[in-house]
Amino acid sequence: MFDIFFVQQLVNGLSVGFIYALMAIGFTLIFGVLNVVNFAHGEIYMIGAYAGWLSITIFAPPLFVVILIALAIGALAGFSLERIAFRPFRRFRDEASLKSKAMREATLLSSLAISIIVREVAEKIFGSNMQTIPQDYLLLTPIEIGPLSFASGQFLIFGLSIVMLGGLQWLLKRTRVGLAIRAVANNPMGATYVGINTERTIIATFVIGSTLGATAGLVVGLYQGAIFPAMGFAPGIKAFVAMVMGGLSSIGGAVVCALILGVAEAVTTSFFAQGWGDLVAYVFLIITLIFFPTGLFGGGRERV
Amino acid sequence: MRRKLSILVILIAVLVVLPGILVAVGGGYWFRVATTIGVFIILTMSANLITGTTGLMSIGHAGFYGIGAYTAALLATNLHWPFYLTLPAAGVVTAFFGILLALPTMRLIGIYFAVATLGLGEIIHLTLLNWVGFTRGPMGISAIPGIALDGLFSASDIVNYYAVALAVVVAAFALGRLTHSYYGNALRAVREDDQCAASMGLNVVRLKIQSFAFACFFAGVAGALWAHTTGYISPADFRFSESILILAMMVVGGLGSLPGAIVGAVILLGLPEVLRPIGDYRMIVVGAVMFLSILFLPRGVLGETSVLAVMRRQFGLAWDNVKHLGWRQ
Repeated sequence: MFDIFFVQQLVNGLSVGFIYALMAIGFTLIFGVLNVVNFAHGEIYMIGAYAGWLSITIFAPPLFVVILIALAIGALAGFSLERIAFRPFRRFRDEASLKSKAMREATLLSSLAISIIVREVAEKIFGSNMQTIPQDYLLLTPIEIGPLSFASGQFLIFGLSIVMLGGLQWLLKRTRVGLAIRAVANNPMGATYVGINTERTIIATFVIGSTLGATAGLVVGLYQGAIFPAMGFAPGIKAFVAMVMGGLSSIGGAVVCALILGVAEAVTTSFFAQGWGDLVAYVFLIITLIFFPTGLFGGGRERV
Repeated sequence: MRRKLSILVILIAVLVVLPGILVAVGGGYWFRVATTIGVFIILTMSANLITGTTGLMSIGHAGFYGIGAYTAALLATNLHWPFYLTLPAAGVVTAFFGILLALPTMRLIGIYFAVATLGLGEIIHLTLLNWVGFTRGPMGISAIPGIALDGLFSASDIVNYYAVALAVVVAAFALGRLTHSYYGNALRAVREDDQCAASMGLNVVRLKIQSFAFACFFAGVAGALWAHTTGYISPADFRFSESILILAMMVVGGLGSLPGAIVGAVILLGLPEVLRPIGDYRMIVVGAVMFLSILFLPRGVLGETSVLAVMRRQFGLAWDNVKHLGWRQ
């Protein structure tokens, strides 16, 4: 059980899991507030990675500036995404149409359409080949702790994820914006009645969620060194699975499930071929939907 | 009378006029374009039965399409079955898999069902990709025999076109009868409010499974046609993006409308051909058309309600609300 190889895989899995967690939070926040699925989240991840790569290749700033640039671009992308793909479909303000099936499907499809467009445009501009981060920025310096060997990128992933998760908790629990987000997620009409600006809160949610997603993309780009237009698809789906497993609107649940998913994938990959590792997420998804339709950590919901 | 005339007009258009035009503009390549469009018309019509009429958003349809294609390809290359056996076999196998995979997910509604079909589609895609011993993995299956009968006709673009066109006509007929009937109304009732439908005495789960099985059958046939007409298939043909393309065709044409499915497939596959100079931007055009149509034509080019009236008038389908008000006409 305490095989060195196994522990190594566990750590690798956790670092992948944190990436999924960062993305899953974006999904969860947006689902909580608007009750819709944002299919363009994977493209935000891709945009974050490209923002980092571009800033590195153009003017090679220090690492924390790269992170800040990616955060800013992610926030901007989230804002524009909300304006283009979600806002035009909120024509009516009453609760029935906000929660209606038509509205959910329309935004699901519009975010899908936007994600196709963004990905294809990126492919046209940067080509569909993998871009590589210059060697100086690749976080693959091995760090030995006893018999274990870690890449420095894994520490960045752990550190950054924990900082961002902590920051998010602080934001949601202690600031006005966070309180507004939680209020709108809980009851949009009630939030409007007590004077919360719902529109602004929705934009704030998208900005926060997209910032986290863009960070995830940037860190993966720095750590794995492979940046390509379709890179957001697989992690996006897996983060989505983590959100469903966690119970759709539970941030803690999503994070825990994302970590479980990352570890499960790493372990599967070490026993079977690489390709089958991807299957784990989908099998987890189906099993969760069949046996725990409300998610592993979800409270009681109406119907699924 | 009117009904026979309408069917005759459609048959002449598909079997005589359209091939004539294609020959006139140069044959070859255009026949292949028409064949591709035909395969996607079948796919879109079948997906439309689940997503449009029954209201279960399926975003894993390409997976079932892939099962059909691989069934036909493996039967044709390993067991040397002729196409007239592989086509129905692919349909039946796909329908069987559809029922098998859909049974546990049938109680899910809305976005949960969509996510489950996404998962199923990806599981199928990854299995096709990784089960190298059986499906030859990413290399795909090549040298699939074309559509040919000894002594009668051999595989060519025109034969492929006629095979696909006939399949489209048969599928349109079958799905038209399914959706514009008492049965189709039951499916629409399930879409609008499944709890209410159940309380009115409809067996909701059975209806959902049946519609899923019918749709998977035609998806399988479409896959088999694809395998036989192109002669080469690989898992890359059955990715998530194909499911999205099918979904986009439905949305552009109009969810729940059978002619809409046809129009959507023609628009989204025909537009990139017409806009040949910017052919590289094909998927951008698809995305943009999808987005604009959700924004400005939420009901699609041919919306369901308006199509119902036309179907009733021209084809005598659906129900006559004066004479036959009631059950099982």
